[in-house]
Amino acid sequence: MSHKSARYLPLVVTVGQVVIFPYYIIWLKQVSLTFTLFAWFFASFSFAAAWGYRIYQTKKNKDHSYLFIIYATMGSVYILIGYIKNSYEYLPYVVLPLQVILGLLQGYFRAWHSEQDTYHLHAVHHYLIVGFMMIGFSFIKIISPVVFITIFGFLLLVCGFWEFTRRGKLSVSKKV
Amino acid sequence: MIEHYKLKKGTDTLLYSGSSLGSRNENIRFFFVAALYNEIKTMKIPNMTIKGVTMQRFMELLKKPWFLGSLVVVFVAVVLWNIPIEKRKYGLSQGSLVTDYTGLLPERVERVVKADDRKDLQRIVKEANEDGQKISVAGLQHSQGGHTYYKDGVVLDMRTFNRILEIDERQKTIRVEAGASWEDVQEAIQPHGLALKVTQSQSIFTIGGSLSVNAHGRDIRFGSMAETVKEMTLLTPSGEIKNITRDDPDEWMKYVFGGYGLFGVILDVTLELTENDLYTIHTEKLKTNQYESYFKELLDQRNTAMHYARVSVAPSTFLEEMVVVNYDYTEKQDHKTVLKNEQGVRLSKLALDVGRQGGALEDLFWGTQKQYIGSLDGKEITRNNVMRSESTFMEYTKPGRVEVLQEFFVPVHAYKDYINDLKQVIPANDRNDDFKIHNITVRYAAKEDFTTLNYAKEDMLGLVVLIQHGLEEEEIADATSLIQSWTNLTLEHGGTYYLPYYRYQTKEQFRSSYPGWEEFEEEKLRKDPNNVFQNMFYEYYLK
Repeated sequence: MSHKSARYLPLVVTVGQVVIFPYYIIWLKQVSLTFTLFAWFFASFSFAAAWGYRIYQTKKNKDHSYLFIIYATMGSVYILIGYIKNSYEYLPYVVLPLQVILGLLQGYFRAWHSEQDTYHLHAVHHYLIVGFMMIGFSFIKIISPVVFITIFGFLLLVCGFWEFTRRGKLSVSKKV
Repeated sequence: MIEHYKLKKGTDTLLYSGSSLGSRNENIRFFFVAALYNEIKTMKIPNMTIKGVTMQRFMELLKKPWFLGSLVVVFVAVVLWNIPIEKRKYGLSQGSLVTDYTGLLPERVERVVKADDRKDLQRIVKEANEDGQKISVAGLQHSQGGHTYYKDGVVLDMRTFNRILEIDERQKTIRVEAGASWEDVQEAIQPHGLALKVTQSQSIFTIGGSLSVNAHGRDIRFGSMAETVKEMTLLTPSGEIKNITRDDPDEWMKYVFGGYGLFGVILDVTLELTENDLYTIHTEKLKTNQYESYFKELLDQRNTAMHYARVSVAPSTFLEEMVVVNYDYTEKQDHKTVLKNEQGVRLSKLALDVGRQGGALEDLFWGTQKQYIGSLDGKEITRNNVMRSESTFMEYTKPGRVEVLQEFFVPVHAYKDYINDLKQVIPANDRNDDFKIHNITVRYAAKEDFTTLNYAKEDMLGLVVLIQHGLEEEEIADATSLIQSWTNLTLEHGGTYYLPYYRYQTKEQFRSSYPGWEEFEEEKLRKDPNNVFQNMFYEYYLK
């Protein structure tokens, strides 16, 4: 693994998050049953993202961002979602904390990413990649959104592991 | 005429709009508020208004992670508390297929008509007589056997037909439209110190719906619900609007009450009321074999106005233990206590969900129920509040499974033997079975020969059973077989079963249970020769 390849991890994560979003929405709508609950779940995600964003922004030692933990935890949450059996009675009570965790991690990750000098380049690339990927996915028949969510979860775990093994050696340059 | 007031002080303008019909007090209140507003607006805190300071502080707070974290925690707590217990959709609101409470009989209907005008309803019925259209009548749709709709038919949604028309405090009566719920009625009569004579344990049903199934509840003194109706306005199957009294020569009440919506549309009824008495709750634990004699004594002593009991379905005390709840007269009336709302819903649901797991957890649930009921002993409660107990906690939503009710009536004198024999029909521990029984409640149904499809040919005890089973073909077949065996046992003991629920029973069991079915069918053809009023219940049992 080269130093350069590690620079693409945030791009992989960003693209993955956008691509998985429609599938995640389908799953979330299924478990919410009502639009009200669906909207509440989204609101909790959003508030938690704001919190995560500020946690990173106010962090004093930004050299230790623990990104591998962020990736691994995100991956674990997506994998957990893939393994949840649909039992509507209690699912909303489980989904709510998961939404908060995902929001918090995403906000933290976004704040970190926005301070990297590759951020703007990644932004352009991710739009293009997502566009092509979604065209590709449009030809795939969805059996269940959780299959994609689980695969993305494992991908994030790999990213986390990769980040873990590279940390220390890796030194992504910051914006001035 | 609207008047606009403007107050100007410095650069701040306050606009106030108010009706000129408003009282002098309103004007005084306005000037007071306006003066206060201007005072506040001009309070200066070193070069900054209060509004500015507040905004700045808020923006600063938003930058603090602990504040954002607290916001998330508070929001999550609020959402957790407000996650609705009833998440599923059923009934007329559900897409293209109509169902009732269980969702077991989905069917396409041609259209749903919201009832709000008698003339419109009359026109629809008359047109149906000419063009062969079928009509069903729906209220809050808590019946469970397709009584409120029919394939390709028109459904009259009566929920908007819910006005209180008249309360006669002296005569103790209320005239109310049939789409009103018992809750609506209670809210109207409570301030007059009045209460219903007979209604169900919960107030979530419509008047028309309850009368169409001739429901019963906790009262043990006033007879059947049908007998508390003094007058009724009926839209007949031919499209006439008739005022019906008890001495009506055509005996419409006999067929409409407990007639499952097959003899026209109940437009409004005049119900007899009684005082909103205050009762003392008395609870007791009994062995099942003691209950028959206990209840007979209770009926004779006449100290008790209302009563119900629960039978254990927990494995270690299965059909052996009971708890009874009596509401004893205090000779006092209560005009102050307000109508209670649902309380402890989430806690009750959690307890029931624990019981739903079966085995030792069902024993734990039974223990909790006994403890809770025991804690009510000695407390006082109004008649109105006895008639509005909680129901939301029973909601159950799980794909592939359903919870249904069944009710079996058995003569009071046969209760002891019946319960003993019942132990041979249903398993004590259903933890690993698909067919599960979660609750059995016992209520009294006094002898009634007023209606044709009457379930209380003599004084009966009704066992209301909460059942859960799967929705696979085989699982439904197993549940059907078990419920049919249970029905046979009930018939052997001189009992019957209740018709508002899902039709697990056979046509033969229906005929044995309701010997009046032939008369009912003949009268249906006489009063509704074009079969305008139809539903899934009629199609299964009588067509």
